[in-house]
Amino acid sequence: MIPTQSAEPDDRELVRTIREGSSDAFEQLVRRKTSKVYALCYRVIGNSEDAKDIAQLVFIKLWENLEKYDSQFAFDTWLYRMVTNVAIDFMRSRQSRDNAVNSNLRLVKTATEPEQALIVQRKEIDNVFADISTVLSPKQKTIFVMNQMEDLPSVEIAKILGCRESTVRNHLFNARKLMQRQLQKRYPEYAQLWRSQ
Amino acid sequence: MMACSDFRAQFQAGTDDAALLRHLRTCDPCLDYAAHSDPDVMFRAIGGDEIVPPGGIDAFVADVMHTVRLRGAEGVIAPPASTWHRRLAIAATLAIGISGASLVYQVEHRARVAPAQSVAAVRHPVERQITLTTKPAVQAYSSPNATIVEVPSETPNDNTQIVMIVDENLPADL
Ligand SMILES: [Zn+2]
Repeated sequence: MIPTQSAEPDDRELVRTIREGSSDAFEQLVRRKTSKVYALCYRVIGNSEDAKDIAQLVFIKLWENLEKYDSQFAFDTWLYRMVTNVAIDFMRSRQSRDNAVNSNLRLVKTATEPEQALIVQRKEIDNVFADISTVLSPKQKTIFVMNQMEDLPSVEIAKILGCRESTVRNHLFNARKLMQRQLQKRYPEYAQLWRSQ
Repeated sequence: MMACSDFRAQFQAGTDDAALLRHLRTCDPCLDYAAHSDPDVMFRAIGGDEIVPPGGIDAFVADVMHTVRLRGAEGVIAPPASTWHRRLAIAATLAIGISGASLVYQVEHRARVAPAQSVAAVRHPVERQITLTTKPAVQAYSSPNATIVEVPSETPNDNTQIVMIVDENLPADL
């Protein structure tokens, strides 16, 4: 068997090279992390252009603050902390800007016939989530996305946010409750799934 | 990928199993099956995949690097330590250039640049001594690598000469 030789430096090695002054290493790091960072931004923010701007801002802040990274901690934890801070700030400012408009808008959804069996499909779930997750606070939504869509366990999210794991669990519990209530209002056919449990 | 029959046999409410989640995220019939037995799994279906920013990864990375270089050059953000002193020196040089409106220097060949020539950049190949008679605190500056930009005066018979010294070796604390 041919021994595999890893040519790719790991995150910590890359950070060390960047600190020595290599912008090529920084470019490599950006390339490596773009999908991850953008996916989280997109799922939390919900539209691609804003998500792209925020993801770029994250990398610029990363460059600005790289000296502060303590390499005894996982790089991704530190990176995710930066993503959540920037995304939550952005959503808070957007929320306060949009509040006046949203309070007068209510989505009118035609309920499906009760007898009609619901077929759950991924594309539809995407739209449902985008719609009902607007009731969540920026922090609740970020935690929900990290846990349910990025598959991060609550203990890891607690490290990212610098809070207790019980706080993360509380946020998850409340997020679920709020979304179920919204499902009942706007998508009764989906809410029935819970009622039938 | 896992077979649908395996997924349905192994799926349990609240699962965190990576292979099951991978299947859930790519197979609508199994998502439907799972959501009816555990509605909490519904939103897990929309995660997991790689998403590419609009315009693609190359364009995204190029934008980031462009902004970083631009802001670095403007001194807005701190580049890594090793280039930091150099940039500081350049910033100090520019600051001197700007505040150098009152700088007077005397050189042996006191060649005045004609106004029509606008700005002349002169690279001095040999070490030369420049005596500065006014503030800022630079009294003299000596370097084999300095590029001295002479800014022509607009006023006739004006003895004031404005210069900008550009030198990568300029001490940061000048
Ligand atoms: Zn399947």
